Order: sequence, then structure tokens, then C-alpha cells
Amino acid sequence: MIYDIAHRTIYKYDAPVASARCAMRLIPRNDRGQTVLSHRIELSPSAEILHERIDFHGNRICEARILKPHTRLQIALAARVAVERAPPPAPALTPAWEIVRNAAYASDSLAASSPAHYIYASRFAPLFDAATHYARKSFSPGRPILEGAIELTQRIHADFAYDPDATHIATPIAQAFERRRGVCQDFAHIMIAALRGLGLAASYVSGYLRTFAAPGQARLEGADSTHAWVSVWCGPEFGFFDLDPTNAIVVGNDHIAIAIGRDYADVSPIDGVIIGAGDQDLDVSVDVKEAAI
Amino acid sequence: MSAERPIETDKASQCVAAWIAQYAPMRDAPDELLDPDGRPRAHWLQFLESLAAFGDTGLEQRFAAAGRRIDDMGISYRVHGETKERSWPLGRLPLLIPESEWRDIATGVAQRAELLDQILHDVYGEARLVAEGALPAAAITGSPDFIRPMCGVAPPGGRWLRFYAADIGRGPDGAWRVLGDRAQAPSGAGYALENRMILSRALPSLYRDMNVERLAPFFREFRASISGAAQRVDPRICLLTPGPWSETYSEQVNLARYLGLTLVEGEDLVMSDGKLHVRTIAGLKRADAIWRRVDADWCDPLEQNAASRLGVAGMFEAIRRGAVVVANMPGAGLIESRALMSFLPELSQRLLGESLKLPNVATWWCGRESERDQVVQALSDYAISGAFSDRLPGFGERREALGHALSSEERARLIDAINQRGVDYVAQEPVNLSTTPAWADGRLTPRPFALRVFAAATADGWTVMPGGFCRISNRLDARAVSMDAGAQSSDVWVLTSRPIEWSTLLPSDEDPPIVRALGNLPSRAADNLFWMGRYLERAEATLRVVRSLGARLGELQHIDLQGRQSIERLARLLIAWGAAPEDMPDMDPTQIAWVAAAGADNYGSALSVMRYARRAASIVRERLSQDVWQLIGRIETRLTDAGARPITEPEALEIVERSLHTLAALSGLIDENFNRVAGWSFIDLGRRIERAIGTCRFARQFAGDDATVETLDALLDLLDSQITYRSRYIAGAALAPVLDMAMLDPFNPRSVLFQAMRIDEHLAALPNLRDDGVMEPPRRLSVKLRAELESEDARRLDAATIFAFEQRLMSLADKIAERYFTHDADGAANSQPSRIA
Repeated sequence: MIYDIAHRTIYKYDAPVASARCAMRLIPRNDRGQTVLSHRIELSPSAEILHERIDFHGNRICEARILKPHTRLQIALAARVAVERAPPPAPALTPAWEIVRNAAYASDSLAASSPAHYIYASRFAPLFDAATHYARKSFSPGRPILEGAIELTQRIHADFAYDPDATHIATPIAQAFERRRGVCQDFAHIMIAALRGLGLAASYVSGYLRTFAAPGQARLEGADSTHAWVSVWCGPEFGFFDLDPTNAIVVGNDHIAIAIGRDYADVSPIDGVIIGAGDQDLDVSVDVKEAAI
Repeated sequence: MSAERPIETDKASQCVAAWIAQYAPMRDAPDELLDPDGRPRAHWLQFLESLAAFGDTGLEQRFAAAGRRIDDMGISYRVHGETKERSWPLGRLPLLIPESEWRDIATGVAQRAELLDQILHDVYGEARLVAEGALPAAAITGSPDFIRPMCGVAPPGGRWLRFYAADIGRGPDGAWRVLGDRAQAPSGAGYALENRMILSRALPSLYRDMNVERLAPFFREFRASISGAAQRVDPRICLLTPGPWSETYSEQVNLARYLGLTLVEGEDLVMSDGKLHVRTIAGLKRADAIWRRVDADWCDPLEQNAASRLGVAGMFEAIRRGAVVVANMPGAGLIESRALMSFLPELSQRLLGESLKLPNVATWWCGRESERDQVVQALSDYAISGAFSDRLPGFGERREALGHALSSEERARLIDAINQRGVDYVAQEPVNLSTTPAWADGRLTPRPFALRVFAAATADGWTVMPGGFCRISNRLDARAVSMDAGAQSSDVWVLTSRPIEWSTLLPSDEDPPIVRALGNLPSRAADNLFWMGRYLERAEATLRVVRSLGARLGELQHIDLQGRQSIERLARLLIAWGAAPEDMPDMDPTQIAWVAAAGADNYGSALSVMRYARRAASIVRERLSQDVWQLIGRIETRLTDAGARPITEPEALEIVERSLHTLAALSGLIDENFNRVAGWSFIDLGRRIERAIGTCRFARQFAGDDATVETLDALLDLLDSQITYRSRYIAGAALAPVLDMAMLDPFNPRSVLFQAMRIDEHLAALPNLRDDGVMEPPRRLSVKLRAELESEDARRLDAATIFAFEQRLMSLADKIAERYFTHDADGAANSQPSRIA
């Protein structure tokens, strides 16, 4: 499947901003079943692109600096990405979760692909008893890891209500968990915390969902902005597989990954510092469609 | 010179014998003073006998002097979460360590520093220790200080670790053990230095006779080594502080001053052209090296914690490009985790080919199956704590759990947690630390202690500070000695057998700054100095009005209607300045006067303004002498105390009078003792601007179109110009002569012209950013203002023309702020940086 993606972010400031410096994590990943065919980032007002680098987790970061005073900043990404993911293994064939956990504890690699990075609490995914307890129900002793993880995905979908007004980025996930409501970001963080509570490795994936459902299928939640889901490590033989707790599905070719990290803090699309006073207002729009070729 | 009169030797021996007889160490821990057989050790005996020779009163006098000195030096620390700093609790007795024993400690600490540096090189580099199975990846990745953006980075200057500290203690077998490693931003070295200065002065003869190793060479070598690692010769080294709210700010200030480093906060720095720079009044100046006291997570909001306001955006990129030496590199804090301790004995063999000379407390990381099972089976034998954090995961605020002391519920919960997430836990052998004598109520008592030893990287190895920062527990049970836990500190004397060189015996040899190259003044420092000057002047002006009002109220019965008029105007002025509330029109003038001086509720009261002055001063404390800092504090304290209790009128006036005297002393100190580099110019610029504006306001209020003899008299009072006026003019106060004296007299140090002249001189002498010889905006204004005042005629002055001068002074202040206090990478003026949401 080939997608055309348009992702536009607009900042509006109450008072003129003298200068800004930002790091953008917007270009989709070029691995794990994805190929970026083309991409372009445009800033308005025009910016001085300082440099591009690859971060620890393999995400592409573009740093820019705007020295002109401005009251509006627009950052637009246009990209064409081909997605062709291998189907996941039969869940029953994956190893027992305890074996996977011990393998993660004993990992002999510090590379980004090592599960060792994804078993600990992180900034947006602190461990808490309620989540660990919740996860335990899906991981009876000896259960194959992917079976348990898929069931957990389905339970989160069933038990939690999608409610954009319930939380914002600063809401602690324990609170979202308590209320059983939130958005894709919360569900991903909750699932990550739940799995890590058992000692399992789970990472956070930010990305897009195709905006319009394939014929005969329902439109999925999270399609009109950036989306987030979870990648679960299934042992050294199988590696990571992606699950989407917001929609209770195994990630196939409808998802396009932008960045991977321990949680949102590692993948936030735009980080930056502005020199200015006053409030700011943010507007994001995302459009993902099948490329007309 | 007061000679020390030793009392008879016999008496001293008796005294020591009595001290020792009362001294009862614990049975299960060794002691520094008494050997296992209960006999005093020779070096302690020598020390105690000299101490006893001072006699009871002599001793108390010395200790009291030390206590005063702590207050004088402004040594303090802040307990986390508290707003007030506390006095530093310094123990009266040093910890004594003989040279032979010290040599082993120093070698052990140096070896450990080298080992940890090599481990950091590997972990952030090739990661071979992990790949070869010597170190599990999960023993690294659990550390909040495994800073991933630093992976693959070559540390500028070649070292991950430049300043390392080991917390050590003596175990039950008498051998020293490492209790913890510190590499994030170890504190304590500055306190050690201060403790030394105090104790060596309280006990100078003792200090001399016992041949105590000096600390200064260590700091000199540390500085030289950072300097040598930088790209440029004669580099600018900055101490990056989290700011005045940091728990150890006063230590950071003193270290910056002692080592001649530029004290900067994140906002002082800017990344440009791939390099770090300090914003200074002379534009951006390269920051070649940084000694950071900001935790790595807060250092760069673009790559770590996006919410950080303490760091500088782009610092990591500058490091990647090799443009800035950082001590320690972000990510070095990784080696603080207890999980790593369990692997060190093996890693030492592997990397150095030798065993650890100074073993750490035996540690088992529960992330490995075999260790986990062993720990769970014999939980009672261990102390369990967090593998990567100071808290025991799953147990709230608890730092550790002693296996044998757990309830059965807790025990089951802990075992369950270790079985599930063993990676988060370590087990350690419980160790009772040795005790050392502390002085309490005229006698010696044994107290457990932990010693922090510091090592600095040199060009070819490590140098260890001969001494350290010793924390003494208040309780007899000593498992965790932390400053928050109400411990005190003590000086650490490493005793040599050879005499210390005479030249270094001068008591002052620990004091002088090693280098005095503060370089260009950072913009933020200039800003705070400027405002400190303005606030001090404003406080003075407010107090003058209060005094003038008070004096007139005192003679109220004798004055006529016109006199009442000036009372009313003085009171109105105080209200207009925000020194007294405006919503209480019937408040009697006496009350207004007192509220304006010592009230805390109004932003313009002398007390409030002194508090602003103190806050501005606290940010530039490393540039102020202790005297200046103390006097500022004294005025604030005096007004605060006075405002908090009922007070009589004469008493109130006297407090105002004394505060004015202290302010005058402060002005004198600043003028006489402040180095005439840019820092002083900004204090003085602030004072001059404020005084000029204040004088304009006085003149408008008291020498306007409806001026009377009484109001002119009040104006002369406020300007301290009564005597001069009377010597010049036989007749009473008249409008034009008074106005001339207030506004235009170039010889009156309170006139507006006098201030304009000084301002213009300062601006002429400050660095110019333009190389085309054209004046910068602030100077253009000051030249014009001065010329106009010089050519003005007093008879032409009225409220409107005075107001116009006042307005121009205010815009001059704005231009000064724009030019000197704020510039970005391209020199553009800016406001506060904030985060993109």
C-alpha cells in the first residue's frame, strides 16, 4: 500500500515571537515494513535548517531555527510512504511470557532494538500497581506472550471509552486508568505501563492511520490526527510486534509509523524553545490517503 | 597578638583521660578514637591533648568563634522544599585520618574513578562489556541517567568522568568500603573547603602542629585539567547552576568564586554556530568548558526533558561537535546506580586486570536469576534497596528495607515484587559504620559517619583531594547518613608525618582565588546588579521620605497650616510609590510612615524593596563581597523584625535612621571595595538612574508651580542639601535656586545632572558592539540628556519640563536593558524563552 501524507501544524502566538528553535520528528520511519518514497518539510516563515540527525531510537530529527519575528508558525510535512508489513506469527506459537521476560532481563545488546530499553518506567509511563494488576489477568502462567498481549489490547478497547475531552497530555496515566477514558496516547501509555509492570518490553509508536477506511470497513479512531500504538517484544526469535489498543487490532498495513521510543516524550513530533512572551495556540491537521498512482 | 597559654600538661592529660573515660562506643562497630582493645589511638591522643591544653573556656571561645564565622561567611544550605537557607551545621572536631591509611583510600578511589570512566567509555561507545556478557544491558538501561543521546558520542577532552566522589565508611572489620558512587554533580567539595577555612582558623596551632594536608592543590589541578581539555588556550570555564533555589547554591557560589569560574544559569547560555556561548554585555562570548551542577536530564530541552528551563537548547549538539568540555559528561550519572556496584569486582579484573583496592559494599542485582533466587531465599540476611533509585520501588518513600525487620505482609509483597521485576532491586550486606568522636555539651560522644572523597581527572590519571566532606549522623544507628536527616558535617584532616612546607602554612593559603578571570560580565548578572543598585537606591529614597515625614510629625504641634501641607504631600508621595495602601485615605500619617518603612504588604515599602534588592543580589552573590551581602541581609532583617512587633514612634524613627546609616555604609562599601570592572558600573548605573528619577519626582512634588517655603524646605531635606543651600543663599528657600540645586547643579551629588554625568561616563566606558565608531542607542540618549541638563536654566523649569526629563530617564533605562541585558544568537533583543507547546 502506498500512502500520501499531509501533516500540518500551526502555532499562533498572542505576542510576536522574536526567534524560535525547534527539533522536528516528522519524517516516517524507513524500516519495519515501511519505505519512505519521498518527503518534504516546509516552514513558514521560512527557517534556517540547521541539520538533520538520527536519534537513539532511529527516528529522523530535523532541527531548524527561525530568526524572524513572527506571530504564526506553520510546519507542514508531505510524504509518500509504501507500507508492506509481514503478518504476525500465530500467537500460540510465541514463547511463554515469563521466558520472554527473562530474555529481556538478560539481553546482551544496548542497541535501540534491545528489549532492555523498554522494560522500565519512563517519563509518561510510570509503573503503578493497578495497571500491573490489570495486565496480570491476561497473563496466566505459561501463556504465549502474543496471545496475552492481544487479549490485553482487546480488553483495553472494551473497558476504556475514547473521549478526547477526558485527558490532555499532562494528565497522569494513573488518572486516565482510574476514569477508564482517554485517547490513543493514554491507551498506549496504559498498555505499556501494564506490560512493563510484568517485566515485559513494550515501546511507544507514533504515526498515522489511513483517513478513510477500506471499503466495507468502519472508520477508525485517531484517523484525523496523529495516532499512537504499542510495540510488544515477543522474544529474540520474533522481535517486536505492533498492537493498537485504541482500535483493538494487530497493526497491519493501515498504520504508518513516524517514530518509536519509550513513550511520548521520545517521539513528540515538535520540541522547541521560543523567545517570546504571551500565550500560544496550536492547530494540527492530518490527511492520509492512498496514493493515486 | 594574644599568646596561647597552655595549662599545665598534667591537667591536660587528666582532662583527656576524663573525656575518654566518658566515651562509650558501640560494641558492634569499630571506632576512630579507640582501638578494638579500647585504647586511644596515638594521633587522636595527640589531638585531644592539644585541645585540652586550651582549657575549658579557651576551647569554648574557639568553638564559639568558629560558629560566628559560619554565620559571617554565609555558608548555608537549603533543605529540599524549604525556602529559607539554614546555617551550616559544622561539627567542632575534625575527622582524623593518618597518612598511611589515607594512602590506601586515595589509591582505591583513584582506581575506582579510572574504572568507572572506562566503563562509561564502553557503555556509550562500543558496548562490548554488554555484548560479551560481562554486564547485562538491563543493568544499564534502568538508570535514569543512561542518557541515550550521548550514545556514540566522543567526549570532548576524552573523559566521561572528570570529577568523581565516593562515599565511604569503615565497616565492622575495620576496612573502608565504598557505600556509593557520585558522578552526576557531586556536591560537598566546596563545603569541605569552607569547613577547612573555619576549623583551621579556630584551631590554628593545632592545625599547624598536626601537619594537615592542604586542599588547595587539588582544586588547582582540577581547574588546570578542565582548562587543558578545552579547545582554546585560556578558555572560559562556566559553572552551570540550577539557580538560587538549588539546595547547594551557596556552595556553588563559593566554588565559582574560589576557582574563578563564571557562574551561569541556563538562560545565560546560547548555542550558536555549533558552539556554546555566554550572553555578556560585550555580546556572545564562547563557553569552552562547563562544570555542571544541573542534572543531565535538565541540560538540553531539545534532547532530554522538554519541560526544562534550567538547561540550554542545543547543548548536546555542541558536545557532539566537540565544541564544549563538560564535567561530567551528561550520562556519567549512570555509574551512581547500585545495580552497577554488583558488577564492579568483575569489571575491575576485566578492564584493569586488578582487583578493587577499595571494595564496595557487597551487592547483588536481582535482575539475574541466580542472584534473585539466592536473595529471595535468604531475605533476612540482606538490606534491599532500589537498583537505580533512592527509593525502594513499591514502598513509597522508603529508602531501603532490612530483610529481618520486615513484617510478614511486607516480606511477601517484597518477594513478589522481586520475583516479578527483580531488575528494580538490589540486595546488600548490612554494614554498621564506624563511629568518630563528636563534641557535644563539653564532652565527646561517638557518632557514626560517612566520608565523601573527591577525585579529579588530570592529564595522566587522577588526583584525590586529601580530606573530604564528612557527614556525621545525629543518631547512633547509622545506616544512611544524609544531610536532610539532621546530620552535621565535619572537617577531615589527613595527617602527614612530614612537616607541611612553610609557605603553605600561612593561614590564608586556602583562601585566595586560584585565578581571577571572571571575564566579560554575563548579561543576566549585569541585569541583576543594575536592579540591585536601583532597589537599594529606591529603599533609601523611601526611607528618606519616611524620615522626613516622621520628623515633621514629631513637631506637629508647632507647625502651621503650610507645614501640614508638606506632611500631606510626603504621605501622598509614599502612597503614590506603592509604599503605603491607597485605599485607606483616613490612615493617619504616622501609620503611613511606618507601613511605608516596615510593612510587608505593599510592593513599594522599604522592606519590600529591600527584599527585591536581596533577591537580585542573591543571583550575583559570587560577585559581591561577604560584607555587602551581609549588610543587605541586615537591613532586611531589621525591618522585618521591627514590622512584626508593636513599636513606639521614637523607636520606629531610630530604626529608619539606622537603616539609612547601614545603606550609607553599603554605598561606601560598594564604592570603596568593588573592583572597578563592569560589575560595579551596573550597580552604579542602577543607582544613578533611580536617584535621577527619584529626584525628578521629588522636584515635581515639592517644587511645582504651587511650591511654598515649607515644601521647598522638605525638598532640600530629602536631597540632604540644607547645609549647602544655606551656605550659598542667605535668604530662605526660593523656587529657582532650590530647583537649580535639585536638577542642574553639577556639583551636588544628588542633582539630576550629576547623575546624568555619571551615567554618561559609565556608558562611554562600557564595551561597544559596533566597530564603526557610531554610538550605541543608550549612549546617544545619555549624551543628549546630559547636554540639555547642562544648558538648562532653572528659571525655565516647571512640572512639565521636569516630567519630560523623568520620562527620558525611564526610556534610557529601557535602552540600557535592551542593549546589555538581553541578546540572542544574533544580538537581537528578546524576552523570556519558553517552550513550544
